[in-house]
Amino acid sequence: MPDEKTPASDNPYTQTHLVQSGDTLSKIAEKYYGDATLYTKIFQANRDVLSDPNKIRPGQKLRIP
Amino acid sequence: MKKSSLWVLAALAAVLVAGCQNQRAPAEQAVASAEATLTTIRDAAMHYAPDQLQAVDAQLASAKDSLGKGDYKAVLAAMPALNTAIKNLSDTAMAKQQEAQAANDKAKDVWGPMSADVPKMVDAIASRVDILSKSHHLPKGVTKDSLTAAKSSVDSMKSAWGDAANAATAGDFSSAVSKGQAVRDQASQLMHSLGMTSG
Repeated sequence: MPDEKTPASDNPYTQTHLVQSGDTLSKIAEKYYGDATLYTKIFQANRDVLSDPNKIRPGQKLRIP
Repeated sequence: MKKSSLWVLAALAAVLVAGCQNQRAPAEQAVASAEATLTTIRDAAMHYAPDQLQAVDAQLASAKDSLGKGDYKAVLAAMPALNTAIKNLSDTAMAKQQEAQAANDKAKDVWGPMSADVPKMVDAIASRVDILSKSHHLPKGVTKDSLTAAKSSVDSMKSAWGDAANAATAGDFSSAVSKGQAVRDQASQLMHSLGMTSG
């Protein structure tokens, strides 16, 4: 297996989450990782669509690495 | 016994010996020829028709045994069957070799997309396992034990994928695809157990 990992943005097997009204990155992190403090992982994986971890919009499709 | 009878017996014995000697060269040549033919197909036969090769080897050994005992008549009598067996063995081995080649060519087409796809599955799982390892509480449906098992599975999948890639590098695409499919199946199962298949 190659050493270079496929970035989440190029990986079709990275799970996705469709942002619902009332969602926050922390809530999403809690749902998928069991730990709200890991929201930064989701933020980093979606830097191409998110500029601020506190600003997500319903309908956005976020990658969950 | 009369002297004339002794002469007749001696003459008959000489004819018999001469007859045997006449058969010696063709018998030796026939065995050598069969052995040489078998040598040219031995590798393929060993790979694709080992049981049939074993039977032919036994026939050849029997012919050589007769040759060693000077029973040239028996050698020559056994040759048609031996030659037919060698030809059948050759036909079987060649047919199976062609079949295997066709299957390998087909597997090569499967390997292309698979080699691009499966590492991405494993990467996605490795990433999730890495993040979950840092989590203070695990998400619903994931237990400490299942996470530990997942970590170990990621290592085994990477190792198995390495074997698959090595097989492909060696040109054995049938084996590569078989090993690669096992990794894909394991990865699919793991993604499911880690809750990575729901949105």
